[in-house]
Parts: sequence; structure tokens; C-alpha cells
Amino acid sequence: MNPWTQVWLLAKREFVERGRSKPFIITMAVIAVAILAIGPVVSALTGGEPEATTIGLVGEQPDGIEEELVAQGELFGIEIEVALYTSTTDYVPILEDGLAAAVLVDGDEIVFYEHVSSSLAALIQRSVDSVVTRAMLDDLGLSEGEIAAVTDPAPVSVSTVEESDLAEDARRGAAFVGAIVLYVSIIMFGQFVAMGTVEEKQNRVVEVVLSRVRSWQVLVGKVAGIGLLGLLQLSILVGAAYGSAQFAGFDDIDVAAIGLPIIAGVFFWFILGYMFYAFLYAAVGSTVSRQEDLQGAIMLPIAFILPGYLLAIAAAENPDGALPRIGSLLPMWAPFVMPVRIAADSAAPWEIAVAVLGSIAGAIALVWIGSRVYRGALLRTGTKVKIRDAWRAASE
Amino acid sequence: MVDVHKRFGDVIALNGAGFSVEQGRILGFLGPNGAGKTTMMRVIFDLVHPDAGYVTWNGSPVDAAARLGFGYMPEERGLYPKMKVGDQLVHFARLSGLSRGEAIDAVRHWLGLLGLTDRVDAKLEELSHGNQQRAQLAAALAPNPELLVLDEPFAGLDPIGVESFSETLRELAATGVTIVFSSHQLDLVEDVCEDVAIIADGRMVLSGSLAEIKTRSTRRRLTIDVDGLPWIPDLPDIEVVDHQGQAHCVVPQDAPVAEILAAAEEAGAVSRFAFEPPHLTDLFREAVRS
Repeated sequence: MNPWTQVWLLAKREFVERGRSKPFIITMAVIAVAILAIGPVVSALTGGEPEATTIGLVGEQPDGIEEELVAQGELFGIEIEVALYTSTTDYVPILEDGLAAAVLVDGDEIVFYEHVSSSLAALIQRSVDSVVTRAMLDDLGLSEGEIAAVTDPAPVSVSTVEESDLAEDARRGAAFVGAIVLYVSIIMFGQFVAMGTVEEKQNRVVEVVLSRVRSWQVLVGKVAGIGLLGLLQLSILVGAAYGSAQFAGFDDIDVAAIGLPIIAGVFFWFILGYMFYAFLYAAVGSTVSRQEDLQGAIMLPIAFILPGYLLAIAAAENPDGALPRIGSLLPMWAPFVMPVRIAADSAAPWEIAVAVLGSIAGAIALVWIGSRVYRGALLRTGTKVKIRDAWRAASE
Repeated sequence: MVDVHKRFGDVIALNGAGFSVEQGRILGFLGPNGAGKTTMMRVIFDLVHPDAGYVTWNGSPVDAAARLGFGYMPEERGLYPKMKVGDQLVHFARLSGLSRGEAIDAVRHWLGLLGLTDRVDAKLEELSHGNQQRAQLAAALAPNPELLVLDEPFAGLDPIGVESFSETLRELAATGVTIVFSSHQLDLVEDVCEDVAIIADGRMVLSGSLAEIKTRSTRRRLTIDVDGLPWIPDLPDIEVVDHQGQAHCVVPQDAPVAEILAAAEEAGAVSRFAFEPPHLTDLFREAVRS
């Protein structure tokens, strides 16, 4: 029988049995729904479409003020609606009921409800100036063109020295979220590998399995099956996050252009990081015989993963810092740190190459080391097996 | 299995052990705790690599492919507690090379034979202790093995369980399955084995057909009760055995039976007088001593 057929059967069992366990399905559904909800909630909080600002006109008004307010609004970048309350002079209820943000009374008084908006006040002031000046110039007998030459504002351009790059911020933010997702996923599915290994030892089923397949097949099957489940979960969560971002109404940001490369990066680095750590988790898992002893054993992989996570945070702050740079090149931390640096455009091509090749080499080394410890420790039940003893026992 | 040696550090577990079994026979692989039975069985499945020695089946060395035709029930029983019985048996059958259809048929067949058909969709942990044992046997049988290797299958079974399990093994052997099982309870399994291989301290002390060994033996078991209590005759070549509160003697086959009976009747009312072939425990003691 082809050994890879057996590996496939072992992987399938891990995927199916773990994937249809209720706690797994419920946890994943809850997280996915929570992520999907973020987008619409953000959209609702930020108001989605900007609403028009209403200015109430009370009492007698200069001619053409309505059109002028709307035209000035365009110059100020504020959408203006005008509400006429010419039949009354009592503007207080209008402001109290929020029917208008400000009222212009008899063309010479601007009233706000509580707080003065200086930009709105300036806008109204300018509109009044404009129509009044125009009327005076008209009385002096100037032509339309002459009036316009006097009243139309000279074009003044506005700019900043540093280009405010919303997209850049969004990309870094998304990459950082990606790093967190990677961190959580690698720990979660690494832990599944360790738990599955202990489970088989604790229930003594491992001897039944090993009477039919080799230990490397059990190991590879387990890591592959749980890894596929990890990819499935990642797809669902990333899909939810992407959908959520679409709903959030980021008008100024091209969600697809920023999101898709980062999503691809998350998958790519998950595979490398998971490969590296899953075999480490399997090795330490195989050294204990009971779930109760597992918490102590998995401190080892956690101690390796945690600095990677901290370096990813550091890289989000300062991608060119010395520590993030070093961390992004080392195989055990590259999967967490390098994607953040790539998103910040801080990684040179050679650095990316070193990180990728190093991670692949590291993962291969861990497959070999992890398998050997796993093989040596698997049939030893009872007390915790020292990794060194397991390493030696594998050659017996 | 031929001349198998295995050393764990300073401990010599197997020191030239070996046995053979013919197709369709039931071989009891017997010996006290720590004699090397489990190590020997693990060697068959390559769970332990022997330092020397080899295993053959039908004349060829046993390799991974041949092993898939064997069923194994380890001493440390275990299956996946949260997996459905049917699902995991199909899984194990498929690991042994059966196609999905074949595996489902085989599992249906064995669960039927073992009376577990209605528990096929139950999780293992929902089964009673006895049914979990049967599920474990079904896992060993799922690949339709030619050779079934059972490590201490009677451990933890009550007398009725032992009887029904023995009956199952006999039925299996009758269909051509070769069975090797280990036990340290020699008196318990005496009725089950056709052949025996007895191991002590990593080497074989006795092996062959049980019936032949018994006939060949020059010793006889003599059990006499006088006034309801064990009574020991006065003979030169006698071995007194106190086994679980029941004393009996082992004497030469040409012991003067009539004289012993007469002496016993003189001592009181004889309520039991048995002169019979030696039991496995007697043979084992004899073999270890020599």
C-alpha cells in the first residue's frame, strides 16, 4: 500500500473528526459573525454618507442668498441645504428641534443653538458679503461680468508638504491585523497538534495505529490534516474580515488593492510558520502522556512564538528598527514579522528572500527533529519523557 | 519468530526467543509478568526493532505489506473515545489497505459477529466496558487478518467474559484465522489454546501442541481431599503445590495409585481423588525448573 495513501487517510481523519466537533464549529461561527458585524457597525458609527448641513433663513433676506449659500458650501467642501422660515421670526424652536445647524436672521445675524461652528459662520458671513456686494455693484451699474470679476474669489490652492496617505495607514493596519491572525492561528492549530498527539498516547490508540503505519506517517498526517483545517478556518475568518471591510464604507481606500496581497501573505506565512511550529508542538506533545501535563510542555513552543509576536508589534510601529529587521530574517520569527515589514515597504528584496528561504529550511529541519523526538517518545507512557531521551530512543 | 534478541539499556528483554504457529491454530504465548511477551508481540509489528532475530510468515520475512494482513490488539487497549465506533473501525480497516467498500463490509461483518451492530453509530466512550473490549477486538479484526495477535486479551474479563471471548476465538480459528494470544494466567487459558509457547526471562522454556506436551509429560497431577481437606500422601518423588488455597501434588506417572488411595481411605473419608494429566501451570513449573 502506498504510504502516502495512508498519510492521506490519517490527515482526513484529523480534518473530519476535529472539524465536526461542536466546540470548533461554534467558536468559528461566533468569531466569523463578530468579524462580519464590525464593518456595518463601523459604517453606522461613522455615519456612512455625509449628511447635508441645513441653514435656516428667518425673516427678511437679501436676494440670491439661497443660491449663494449652496455655492459657498461647495467652495468650503460642505453640502448645504437651505430651509426657509420666512413666515416667522422665532428661530429658537428651529434650533432647539435641530431643524437647522444655524439660522440667518434678517440677513444680518447668525445664531447657533449651543456651539458656534466657525467654518459655518464664515461660510454664511461670506455668502451675505457676496450677495450684498453684488447688489451694491449692480446698483452702480456694473455689468454681470464686471460684478463677477470683483466678487468671485481668486483661486487659492491648498496643499500639504507630507502627503497624507490613508492607504498606507490602512495597509499597515491590515498587515498588523494579519500578524495577529497568524499568531493566534499558529498557536491554536499548533496546540491542536500537541493535543491530538497526547490524546492518542493517553487513549493508547497510538499502538494500534503504529501497528499499521510508520510514526512519520502519523506525524505528517496529523500535521497536514490539522493544517488543512487551519487553512479552512483562516479562509473563513479572512473572508469575513474582507467582507466586513467592504461594508465599512472606506470611501477613500481601495479595499481590494490593499486587502488581497495581505490576505495572500497571511496564507503564505501561515503555511511556513505552521510547518515550523506544528512539528515542534507534535514533538513536545509526544513527550507527555496526559493532557494535564501538556500545559507545561507547550511552554517551549510558546516561548519561541511570543517574541515573534512582540517583534511584529514593534515592526508595525517602526518597520526599519534593528530588532524588527533581525527578527524578520530569523526562521522562527520571520512568519510574524516579515509580512508587517513587507506591508510597510520596508523590506528589501534580499531580506524577503532570506526570510522565505530561511523559513522553508527551518521548517524542514523542524520536520526532521520533531519526527525523531516523536518517534522516540510515542510508545513511552507514564512519566514525561525528556526530549533528549526521546531523541536517543529513536535510534533504538 | 526466530532467535529474537532485544536489550533495553541494561535489561535483556528477549534472549533468543522464538515460536511458530500453524494456520488456523490458536497459540497461547504464555509466561509470567515481565517475561518478554509484550516485547515479542511488538517485534511482530515492528513497534520494537529487535537487536537480532527475525519474523517470517508463510516462509517470507515479514515486511510492512505483510503486517497489514495482521490484526493487533495491544495490551494497553485504546481507540478514539469521541469517534463513532463504525467510523474508526472503517478508518483502521482502510489504513490496512482495504477499499472503502471492503472496509464497510468488513466492519459490518465483524460488528455483527461480535454483537455490536446496533452500536455502530455510538461514540466509543458511550459503550459499556465489555462492549469497548469487543470494539477493540473488532478493530484488530477489521482488516480481515490472516493472523490475529492479541496481547493479554483476557485481562480484566470476568469468568463469563472469558468463556464468551474464548468461544469467539475458537469460531475465528475455525474460519482459518491464525491466532496468537498472550497471557500470564496459565490456568485461565488452558482450555483455549491448542498450541502453547511458554517464555520465561526472555527465552522459550516449552512449546508445541498442548495435547502432545501433556501426553509426553512423565508427571501427573494428583489431588486428594480427605474429610473435606487437602491430603498429601507420603511419597519419595512428590511436589506439593499450594495454588490459590487449593493444594495438590505432582507425582511421577507410575506412582502407585492404588496404594495412595488405600492410605487416604485409612486417614478418613475421601471426598476427592483425582489422578490426571498435568495442567499448564504444572508443565510451566517443570519447564522453568529444568
